Formats: sequence, structure tokens, C-alpha cells
Amino acid sequence: MKKLLILAIVSILSLSIIAGCSSSKSSTASEKDVVELRFFHRWPNQPKKQYFEKAVKEFEEQHPTIKIKTEAVLNDSYKEKIRVVLGSSNPPDVFFSWSGEFAYNFARSGQSLNLTDYVKEDAEWSNEFIQSQFKPFTLDGKIYGIPWSTDGKAFFYNKKIFDELGLEVPKTWSDLLAASDKIKKAGYTPIGFGSKAPWTISHYIGSLNQLMVPQDVINEDYDRKNAEGDFSHPGYVKALEKFMELEPYFNKGVNSVDHEYSRELFKSGKAAIGFFQLAEIGLIEPTLKENLGVFNIPGIEGGEGNPNSITGAPEGIMISSKTKHPKEAMEFVKFLTSKEKGIEQLAEVSEYSAVKGTTNEENASKLQQEAIDLIANAEETYLWFDTAVDIKIVDAYLNGTQQMLDGKKTPEQVMKDVQKAVKDVKSAQ
Amino acid sequence: MLHTKKWLPYLYIAPCILFMLLFVYYPIVENLRFSFYEFSAFSPEKTYIGFENFLNLFKDEVFYIALKNNIWYAVISILCQVMGGLILAAILEDPITRLVSSMFRTIFFIPVVISITVIALLFTFIYNPDIGILNGFLSLIGMEEHARAWLGESETAIFAVIAVSQWQSIGYIMMLFIVSIQNIPRELYEAAEMDGAGRIRKFLSVTVTQVREMFFVASLITLTGAFTVFNEPYILTGGGPGNASEVLGTLLYNSAFFKDQMGYASAVATVILVLSLIFSLIQLRLFKSGEDG
Repeated sequence: MKKLLILAIVSILSLSIIAGCSSSKSSTASEKDVVELRFFHRWPNQPKKQYFEKAVKEFEEQHPTIKIKTEAVLNDSYKEKIRVVLGSSNPPDVFFSWSGEFAYNFARSGQSLNLTDYVKEDAEWSNEFIQSQFKPFTLDGKIYGIPWSTDGKAFFYNKKIFDELGLEVPKTWSDLLAASDKIKKAGYTPIGFGSKAPWTISHYIGSLNQLMVPQDVINEDYDRKNAEGDFSHPGYVKALEKFMELEPYFNKGVNSVDHEYSRELFKSGKAAIGFFQLAEIGLIEPTLKENLGVFNIPGIEGGEGNPNSITGAPEGIMISSKTKHPKEAMEFVKFLTSKEKGIEQLAEVSEYSAVKGTTNEENASKLQQEAIDLIANAEETYLWFDTAVDIKIVDAYLNGTQQMLDGKKTPEQVMKDVQKAVKDVKSAQ
Repeated sequence: MLHTKKWLPYLYIAPCILFMLLFVYYPIVENLRFSFYEFSAFSPEKTYIGFENFLNLFKDEVFYIALKNNIWYAVISILCQVMGGLILAAILEDPITRLVSSMFRTIFFIPVVISITVIALLFTFIYNPDIGILNGFLSLIGMEEHARAWLGESETAIFAVIAVSQWQSIGYIMMLFIVSIQNIPRELYEAAEMDGAGRIRKFLSVTVTQVREMFFVASLITLTGAFTVFNEPYILTGGGPGNASEVLGTLLYNSAFFKDQMGYASAVATVILVLSLIFSLIQLRLFKSGEDG
């Protein structure tokens, strides 16, 4: 009796499994023509999350046969997660990427699709880009990513505080220090800074290096294959010393606060200056309004680098080499990087598109137009330092600088650690 | 009936064993294997390098900073949580505090049920050098010279992190001790009273000796917790400034997902496993648990 019962249950169960299989099969058959793409980006926060949701919906309406599944994780977690999911057997088809070494890493390991032919094929679309923005996605002459946005780093200042104290926009490094001194005496925090998440350090280092060290030396040193470049130029130590000259003018305990905190300090008028990304104008301008001003990092007396340079780089979109639908994926990328989307994107999420002519009076403030000119007019653009060199060199730099800010290390000691990391990285090539 | 089907009990525990094998033991063995290779998250091939990961690890000064911080974590946690938790439990179980004990029990236990992420973010505000209430409080009572960037200075960072864990977990250990104190037969206390024992004598001679078994459990929990800690330092300091507040957990994470040295990270994981195994074995021996009780 009991056995019969068990047999009955088992047969019912297995029947239902078979039934389940067949029903799911039939449903896929009816949706056979629909292609599903997985899109992975780094903005689970507003307003960009909504912007992408809207864009995806719009795209799906235009292309009824393509369905897009979006996933998003924030910044630092994205850096970690994207490496893991790309290594898995089921990576996202379309994914976001920073440029430079970050993107090259995917290209070198064969995880990202070579897009050169697509770019060449559709010249009408690809000629619209600021062509220099392709460079940081190009490895050995092949294009692996499409620039989506572009950005640069500059000093932001509070015009109200500057006027109150009768200060001029600093033209040289010593002007900046003198102004900071006056601001400090007036009871404000001169420069807002937060290095708990240490990538903020790398932006200072990158900009200072390019002011202190000759360009050809930098090119040699940053190149991971060039064993000659060993970061031994004295300009690197001087760059760190220059950075430490700012330290007395930062807010207290920079190692324990985040970049977001320093931005709030600046926004609320407690700090007079901050070193921010041009895309952050959109976040700060609504609060400070006409009191917000921007100036490029001032030239340093005795620096051997190019004073008319800017740190900045595009961020872009790549396609996985394992995707089954490269054509459809490319279609989606083209949609996101179209001129119309570029104009929308600045107005809605204040990211400068890498497409020419997307910044105009209608969608950008005067300051934003000025800012984009900073990028266009710079003689030399350098990548974000943390994406320009190998991650192990970055790590040595960031750890060392945190300790230097804490008074535990001197610039010479930091550079010694960096040179050791450089040796390790380059000897492993 | 039973002895005719000897295999039946094994059938019942089979799912559990299967899951344990699949999700606990298999990863442990794989991890051990990985620690002899050098590879990155998306490199298709792994290079066998023998014990080099371990050799590099033992040469890495960050490893010793992390180990030292873990030991600090363990020592302070045992002192604060286990000793402190026991004392708290004894006070709350004393007849004198009967009226307020349930309220305090809840108050002390609330941090345990709050997510660690929330707590860590909360404490970043408390520790904030400009607007934090800790520095505000210090200047209020005239100790302004002691105000500092708690999480941003090498000397204080790890202790500021440890303090958060104590605040959070003491309630849990206290609860364990309360349960075990409630199981002590009342007669023992009555007998001690008749012998003329005071409160402290009763605590030392009756309570402490009777909760020995729970003492073992509580210290095992805090000790293994101290060696596998990750969330608190990761959210509060990220291991910084420099590597000052790095623990083995964050060292593992940074090597694996920041520097992309998966083999090296596996070696760290193996070391953590071995360390916590050794500590539990020592404790098992020390307390001879399970033999009485």
C-alpha cells in the first residue's frame, strides 16, 4: 500500500517536471525572435539610474525584437564585480568601462570585443565623436570601447568667499597657497578634501605629476611594458612635496572622510576651494548658483611638465567578446552614444557627451560650456592616474600618500615604495 | 524494522551532507588548491607556483600588520564582550535589578539586530573629525586636546573600529550568559548565602563556575569572529590610512578584488582557516567541552 502511494507521488512529481519542461520550451519558441541583451553599468543611484531606464525603454520601443536586462552597482564595487563577471561563463553583453589601463586590461585578456570594424563601417555615426576620445580605448590600433562621456578635473572655487576676502583666481601654485592662507585666517576651510576612499588622491597625484615631470618621461614610466621607465625622475618626489604643501589647508582628518563629504563642505560654503570633476558642476551649481567658479590646476614654478594640460578622460561602453548578439549589442551602443542622447544626457545627468556639438546654451549653463572648453583647449590630456598605470603601482601610491597625510611617511619614502612596485610589475611582463 | 534498513538514517542526513560537501568542504579544498597557483579573475590559465604565495605572504609586512590587528581584535573582544557580557548578564539577573532588567536587556540587544552596514555608517558620523558627536562631546567636557580624526590616524583607526564591534556584539554575548545563568539551580545561591557569601563572592564562586560551558561557547564565537572580521574595517576605514587598520579579511579582499591576485588571496584565506582552526582546537582542549554539562 505504502509503496503504491510512494510510486504514485513520484510519478506525479516527475510528470509535473516533464510538463514544466515542455511548457517552458513552448514559451521560448514563441519568443524565439526576441534577443535578450544584458547591460551592466555603474549607476544604481539617481538620476542616472532613471536616465538609463528611460533610454532602455525607448530603445526597446524602437527595436521590438531586442530586450534589455539592466544591472547596476556603484563605483568601487563595480570595479571589483565587473572583473569577476567578465571572467565567468555568462558575462553581460554590454558593459560600462573606464578608459585607459582599466579598459586595456579587458582587451588584453580577450574579454572585450574588437569594435574597429563597426566604427569604420558607420562613419556617419563615428565621425560625430571628438576623435581624441577614442584613443584611451584603443590598444595596438584596435578600438575596444565607444566613449560615452568625457570629463576633466579642475579646481572649483566659491566666488562669494573670494570676493569677500578680495582674492584673485590663482594663476600659479604660490598664488594658490597664498590665497589658501588668507582663507584659513578668515576662518574658512581653504580646500575641501577627503581621502578615505583613496582614489581622490590619485587625481591630485596625476595632475601634479604632469606639471612636475616632463611628458616623455611620464609616457615611458606609465607604460607597463617599458622597463626603462622606473619612476626615478626627481619630479615625482617634488610632485608629492607640492601635494603636501596643500595639506595644512585641507579640512581636518582627510583620511577619515569621503569625497562626498568634501563636496558637501564646498557646497555648503564652508570650504572655499575643492578639486572636483567637471561633471560635478551639475551637482554643485544648483546650490552655489553664480558663486561657483572653475579654474584649471595652476602651473608650478620650476615644474618640468606642460602647464597647459588637464587630467581627464572619457568613460565608455564595451561589448563582451562572449556575446551571442554582437550586432544587436552594437545597435544599443550606437543608440546610447547618438547625438540626441548626448544632448539629453548633459541636461538630465550632467555628463558631457563625447559627441561633438552636444553642449549648447539650451542644455548647459555658461559654466558648463566654459568647462568643456577647458578640456577642448588643453594642449595635453592625461588619463585619470588610477586608470593610467598598473593597479599595483596605484596601490603603492595611494597607501603611501595616505600615510604621508598622516605624517607617517615622507615623499621620498613613498616614492621608494612606488619604485619597488614598479619594478615588480614591469619585471613580471 | 530499524536494523533491517541500516542505510535509512544516512538517507535522511544525505541532503545535509551533500550541501555541506558542495558549499563548504569543496570550496575549502578548491581554495587550498588555488593557493598554489598564480592567476587573475579572468585569466583562463593558472600557473602553478608551489609555495610562493605563502612565502610572499610571510614576507609581506602588511600581513603582520593585519595579524597584529586581528590579535588586538581578539584580545579586546574577549575582555570586553565575554567578560563584560558576563558581568552585564549577572547584574541584569540579580534580584535587585528585576524591575528594569527586561528594559535594559532590550536596550543592550538592539544593536545586535541592526545591520552592520547601518551601524558602520552611523559610526562614521560619530567619528567625523569636524561634525562628529565624539569630538563634540570631548570639547564639551573640556578635553578638546584629545579630539582627533579617529578613523583617519594610524594610531587610533583600528581601535575605533574595534570599539564599534564591542558596542554591537556585547548584547549578544550578554544574552547567551543570561540564558545560562537562568539555568543555574537556585539552591546553589541559597547555599552560598547560608555560608555567608556576599554578592561578589556569589558571582565568583557560583555564577562564574556554573556558566563555564557557555563561557567556552562565547569565547569561541568572539575569537573566530575576531579572526574572520571584515565588514566593520571595510566600511569604516577600508583598511586605511595606508594599511594601518588592515585585518586579514580586508587583506584577502584587497588582494583578490583590487589587485586581482587571486592565488595570493587564496593563500590568505588558507592562513585564516588554519589560524581559526588552531584557536578552536586549543580552546576545545582548554575547556574540555562536552565532557561535563
